[in-house]
Amino acid sequence: MENFAIHIHESYLYGLPLSVVNLIVMFGAAFVVLLGFVAPFAGLLSFIERRIAARIQCRIGPNRVGPQGLLQFLADGVKSLFKEDLIPKVADKPLFIIAPYLVFLGMFTSFVVLPFSSQWIVADLNVGILYLFATAAITVVGLVMAGWGSGSKWSMLGGMRSAAQIISYEIPTGLAALTAILLAGSLSLQEIIAAQGPHPWQWYFFDNPFTFIAFFILFVALVAEGNRAPFDLPEAETELVSGYNTEYSGMRFLFFFFAEWAHLYVLGAILTTLFLGGWQVPESLLASVGAESIAARILELVFFQLKIYVLVFLVVQLRWTVPRVRMDQMMDMCWKYLVPIGFFCVAGVAIWMMLFPDGVSFVKYLLIAFSSAMVLYYFYKVYRNFKDSRAELELNPFV
Amino acid sequence: MLDSLQPLVFGMLALIIFISAAFITFSRNLIYSAFALLGSFTGVAGLFAMLGADFLAVVQLLVYIGGIMVLYLFAVLMTSGIGDVRLTNRSIAVKIALPLALVLFFSLGKLIFETEWFAQQTVKIAPTTAAIGDLLLTKYLLPFELVSVLLLSTLIGSVALARQELRNSKENHD
Amino acid sequence: MQVLDNAASFQYFLPEAILGLTLLLILILDLNKELSKSRLIAPWTAGVGLVLYIVVALALRVQLPEAITFHGMMANDAFTDFFRVFSGASALLAIFLSMHSKELEGVKIEYWILILGITLGMPVLAGANNLLMIYLAMEMVSILSYIIVGYLKKSRKSSEAALKYVLYGATASGIMIYGLSIIFGVSGTLDVLEIQKFLVNNPVGTGRIALFVGLVMTLAGFGYKISAVPFHMWAPDVYQGAPTPVTAFLSVGPKAAGFAILLRFTYTALAQFNPETGIFTPLKYLDITGLMAVLAVLTMTVGNFLAIQQNNTKRFLAYSSIAHAGYMLIAAATLSSLALQGVLFYLIAYFIMNMGAFAVAIIVINATGSEELTAFKGLAKRSGGGALIALLMMVFMVSLVGLPPTFGFVGKFYLFMSVIQAKLYWLAVIGMLNSVVSLYYYMRVVKHMYFDEPEDDKSLGLKGFVFPGVVASLGLATVVLGVYWGPIVTFVQESAQLISK
Repeated sequence: MENFAIHIHESYLYGLPLSVVNLIVMFGAAFVVLLGFVAPFAGLLSFIERRIAARIQCRIGPNRVGPQGLLQFLADGVKSLFKEDLIPKVADKPLFIIAPYLVFLGMFTSFVVLPFSSQWIVADLNVGILYLFATAAITVVGLVMAGWGSGSKWSMLGGMRSAAQIISYEIPTGLAALTAILLAGSLSLQEIIAAQGPHPWQWYFFDNPFTFIAFFILFVALVAEGNRAPFDLPEAETELVSGYNTEYSGMRFLFFFFAEWAHLYVLGAILTTLFLGGWQVPESLLASVGAESIAARILELVFFQLKIYVLVFLVVQLRWTVPRVRMDQMMDMCWKYLVPIGFFCVAGVAIWMMLFPDGVSFVKYLLIAFSSAMVLYYFYKVYRNFKDSRAELELNPFV
Repeated sequence: MLDSLQPLVFGMLALIIFISAAFITFSRNLIYSAFALLGSFTGVAGLFAMLGADFLAVVQLLVYIGGIMVLYLFAVLMTSGIGDVRLTNRSIAVKIALPLALVLFFSLGKLIFETEWFAQQTVKIAPTTAAIGDLLLTKYLLPFELVSVLLLSTLIGSVALARQELRNSKENHD
Repeated sequence: MQVLDNAASFQYFLPEAILGLTLLLILILDLNKELSKSRLIAPWTAGVGLVLYIVVALALRVQLPEAITFHGMMANDAFTDFFRVFSGASALLAIFLSMHSKELEGVKIEYWILILGITLGMPVLAGANNLLMIYLAMEMVSILSYIIVGYLKKSRKSSEAALKYVLYGATASGIMIYGLSIIFGVSGTLDVLEIQKFLVNNPVGTGRIALFVGLVMTLAGFGYKISAVPFHMWAPDVYQGAPTPVTAFLSVGPKAAGFAILLRFTYTALAQFNPETGIFTPLKYLDITGLMAVLAVLTMTVGNFLAIQQNNTKRFLAYSSIAHAGYMLIAAATLSSLALQGVLFYLIAYFIMNMGAFAVAIIVINATGSEELTAFKGLAKRSGGGALIALLMMVFMVSLVGLPPTFGFVGKFYLFMSVIQAKLYWLAVIGMLNSVVSLYYYMRVVKHMYFDEPEDDKSLGLKGFVFPGVVASLGLATVVLGVYWGPIVTFVQESAQLISK
């Protein structure tokens, strides 16, 4: 980033002081990331989600607008823009208006620290992972504000639920992330990735049994933090109409969903960064395109994205296959299971690091074998389910 | 890299903190006051970041906005009838408080500008997390451990206060 | 004085470690379903832990030399050890009173944990050698006190008291930490002894004004803890609303801890000690003794005059405890070794007589269900041990006034002696005049007990020998120590040793 700013300064804007140029570049980068990357991603994800959902429910899903319905999200966006922006009479107007922006802000500032490749990162903060969790806090405020501002019982209940849920699940999130932080000895996302390697046995996921468990804790906790099913109690349709966003319409309504899908991406990015080696690409592959070239960066980006998409796919599938839990069950799970297990994992990793500073290859391979078996079983089950459903759709995604 | 901008950034942050603090104090609506805390807390986090205390800045965001402010909101929203005018903020005794506050402000301000503060050599901005961790487990180990005892007891105590007695709820059902 | 590192310091912290472990043990014991059914397990465990705590503290006092421990966080000297024993004893008695109070029937384990937590904070406050530790220990004592004051959830008074306590406490601690930050800003160190070194080496400079402002703000925090006027407003409401055993505990334990840190801070950071003459000389431009003297006079006078009007037993005892804080403050303001001993001595006396008075109050409240002073009417004529209890209460009241032959008299004698030796005759005179005022309202209780008829014919209903026995031994101690106080003086003289460079 800084080199880039200096470059811009020297070649184009040498009249201005360097600090001002820096500021412009930083704002510019944020702008590009927001508009050029996050918005289309969130939109595309909505398309993917709807397609997967349809397939799980033996439907076809959107396939009219654009090739395979790919442009559906654009159509939806345009439609939302033109819709009337309703503000209920009893709503607390200022709060009602500000709330979606806060939710949006909280979610999208987190993209600032995501490491897309070894050099493509807006700001490599040395407290990056903490920053990610801190931005989630702003989202909570936005949700509560939306809930209160709407002036409706359902919204209010939804807002409260989501706040309770997010601040509760921040604890297992932090604990599980701590295992990776312990291993890497840094809070910087880039350093955590650099401490891992491109091959699975170099990932923290398979480093020891404790990180293996921590990964799943983090996964569950992040799904809950994003208010995603099966933890979507704040917007439980059967109980609360639609929760905190019940009264919203038009573009404001869309903002909440932008944030939700963006969170999905952040979820994948956090898990990939902490446990799955981030953008690491095998060296032989990197050497074949030239380690310093743009192509290498793109390759890294692709690897990073692929891992994220696998995780995102899992979360989406989870949403459409698992029934919603009850509020008390959810809190029980957090405080009675995830938090104690999280503490156990942190202590376990610390002890493991003391006993085996270099790691144990045998355990790593065992864990890899175990997970491979799990993945195979998963594919087998999915395949069987499709067979049993007698759907004509089968496994062909392009219908 | 933002050295020349420091006064500007400080001014902006101070303005954010000041405006939201004034809003918290003078807003008639308790809920607006609670939400205005967001600006004040974020501004303070910004000040920490400006001074090179990166860890503190993020922890400020995490703890104050994610924890304390949300708890305030909970408390405010769970209170029944909070929207009532009678229950909301009112500044009382402004005529006495304002001159006193002004006197205090100017005398403290004078004090701050006239005192020779103990100043260290300008510190190089560097990551602080590791240093904080080291100090917590060496020099400040005792306070660190005591805080944990304090937090544990406070947690137990607040659960005791918040918990509904089982017997009572049974009586209510009868 | 050597500064020990963490590993070497641990042996100095053994008593507090025991206390912490007891706290955890109670929590763990409660997990067992069978054990948690018994109401007695938790208080007994806490009691045994406290006895162990006192024993270990006394053993360490002999075994270990004084030292600055934990990289300068704590000063472990005879003074700290004194407050270890003191806070342990006050907690022990508070637990005992709680077990026999009707208000607190059926309390859960959290109550005992909170008491232990407060007890853990008090010696840390007394030994704090670092501004950070001062603030932390202060909060430790305060925050847990807020909870325990509001422990009777069904009582509106209790909740109101807790809320008032929190609001006053938050303001006081906010002012105090601002003051501490100014002190840090000028001196550049958090270590109390280092601050003193800095002040001695830089006797002039504009920093002095800022430091003085910081000190006054810090004093507000300390003053709040010892309920000195003008920071006393919380005391009557809190004392009235809290469960009576808690009131007894708060009026003795945390108040003593507040005095401990006030003494340590003013005597080590703001004064120079001459070991040969035993004289503390206040530092130039930072002499807050005058301020403390004014506070002392205000505290005594306001406490005594407002106590006259009270009709509620607990409010009455609250104002009386404010007045007693005033007596101790006048001695503290004289800044001498003798004053240090005097305050410690008086704290012991105050501990015994105040705890005794509260114990009697609990008996009366248990029996009549009324907290009004009129419940004491005709106490001597009530059946079920009324005569004995009334006699004991009279002893405590006489002692609180400071009449011979009680311990309270000796305590006051030592206090005023140190003041007179510092040639502050006017302070001593005001103190004595105040004692005369207090005679009126303490004796009103005695009049109620002996010369009025009871309003109902309820029996005191004392069962067994344990509770009356403990109260009686407190009364006996008041009288016996009022005649033979030699060992206490030796103990106090040994204890009044502060680490200072």
